Amino acid sequence: MAIILPKLSRRRSSTGVTSESQPAIRLTLCDPNSMYLAGGELTAKWRISRVQVDELQGLEISVLWHTEGKGDEDLHVHHFQRIGDAKLREIGVENEQSIQCVLPAAPLSYHGQLIRLSWCVRVRLYLEDGRDIVSESPFYLVTQLQQTPCVANSGEEEEPLKGASDASSVAASRSAQTRSVLASLRR
Amino acid sequence: MLRLPMPWSKKRGQRRLGNPSVGIAGEVAFSGAAFLSGVFGLSLVLISQFAPQQVPEQVSSEALSTRLSSWVIGVVSLAAVMIGAMRLVFRVMHLNASDEMRSVIATKAAALERLAPGQGGEVGLPNVPRGKSITDSPGEYLRYRLPVVIGEDGIFGPALLALFWNTAWIILLAVVVSGFWIGRPRWILAGLLVPFALIGRWSFLYFLSQVRQRIGVGPTVVEISEHPLKPGGRYDLFISQGGRLKLKRLSVELVCEEETFYRQGTDVRVERHQAFVLGLARQRDLEVDPQVPWEQQLVMEIPANVMHSFAGTHNAIRWKIVVKGESRPWPSFCRNYPVVVHPPG
Repeated sequence: MAIILPKLSRRRSSTGVTSESQPAIRLTLCDPNSMYLAGGELTAKWRISRVQVDELQGLEISVLWHTEGKGDEDLHVHHFQRIGDAKLREIGVENEQSIQCVLPAAPLSYHGQLIRLSWCVRVRLYLEDGRDIVSESPFYLVTQLQQTPCVANSGEEEEPLKGASDASSVAASRSAQTRSVLASLRR
Repeated sequence: MLRLPMPWSKKRGQRRLGNPSVGIAGEVAFSGAAFLSGVFGLSLVLISQFAPQQVPEQVSSEALSTRLSSWVIGVVSLAAVMIGAMRLVFRVMHLNASDEMRSVIATKAAALERLAPGQGGEVGLPNVPRGKSITDSPGEYLRYRLPVVIGEDGIFGPALLALFWNTAWIILLAVVVSGFWIGRPRWILAGLLVPFALIGRWSFLYFLSQVRQRIGVGPTVVEISEHPLKPGGRYDLFISQGGRLKLKRLSVELVCEEETFYRQGTDVRVERHQAFVLGLARQRDLEVDPQVPWEQQLVMEIPANVMHSFAGTHNAIRWKIVVKGESRPWPSFCRNYPVVVHPPG
């Protein structure tokens, strides 16, 4: 479950504390570990609080991947849904809503030196006064074989050459490295 | 606290130097100014052509006096109008649209383009390169012969440099000699001949070294039993190195490389990082004869927990087999053979 306070850039107080009167989006993924298999189904529940429905202009829900790191950002939306103000009034924002989608086979989550590829469910709420509030809930897209996100080697050091048959030991060391990075990511 | 922008600082992650709306406002102002000045210039040219008596007195009479100057001002003005208008329309279209909405529109447009036959990405594997050209050529020993990537050390650039520089030098020499011939020597040009000749010599020698490398090193053949590859998979690999060589060292590696493109000012920069290197073969003090090429049959096992090939707009993860050799008397060489790794499953 992820409760992300509104992202009010430039208007938020420097202490990072958000006022109780500002709208909030509660976004919950169906898997508590945030691990989803490629080709599997994702369900996310969302609810908006601390705002009147009259103050809302619309809402966008996206399941997307984006890159982070040194390069310019790549972003691709896999599933997109836009709900207008009339529909929002009809469904009632205080009630919990859900979205479902089948995830693609690629690209998988990746944590590298220059590139990080992250998947997330993003809810963008448009207010009548022109502001928009974004809430994200990240998750990992993995495969049955790769139960953890792929992680690149941290250093430049060359792998010791023991022939191609030694690849399994390399894989074992990388798997341990993956676990440690995953733990740090979760922290 | 007011943060002063530092344009020379290194970009890291999503850090921004200031408010993005200031940038948008600046872009709109610049585009508008370019558009308006273009319209003004174009109007002047048209008026001077069709109603010269209407040209304002403030405009210099020499500015539009010749046909050439009218054309130059007209073309520059037209370019300013088009650039300004396009940037303005682009910016207006992107107002009030989220990144996600823009991505959806772009995806739909790309899907429409893919309706044409023979186009499109890998079915069911978005953003994984198809690598169709990799399996174009059948192998002699194994199923596919991998194509080599023409590297940055190509011969075309040095050849052009040597050709154009030395041609220019010969023209310069002819001008200097003709000056002496008619009794009006050009001493400055004559003085420039020596440094220019040195640069010409260097460019020619560099071109020769590239030719020697290409001819002397001989072909490298890499064949593979299956393609595309998958994490956890085991593949046969055949490597052959021809030519007449005495190699100090020869190595074969499977490399996964991260590649990112980013803008720094007006430049587009590329950065690469080897995220994963698996040594497949390494041999020292190797002698290769044209009759007896160095050949090796290898087994390549790809670890299970590695990232698949990925191609975004600004970021990519590429896999390749790299054959590197340190040789004498030829320069060292490095040849890349791209492969595509699919996600497992």
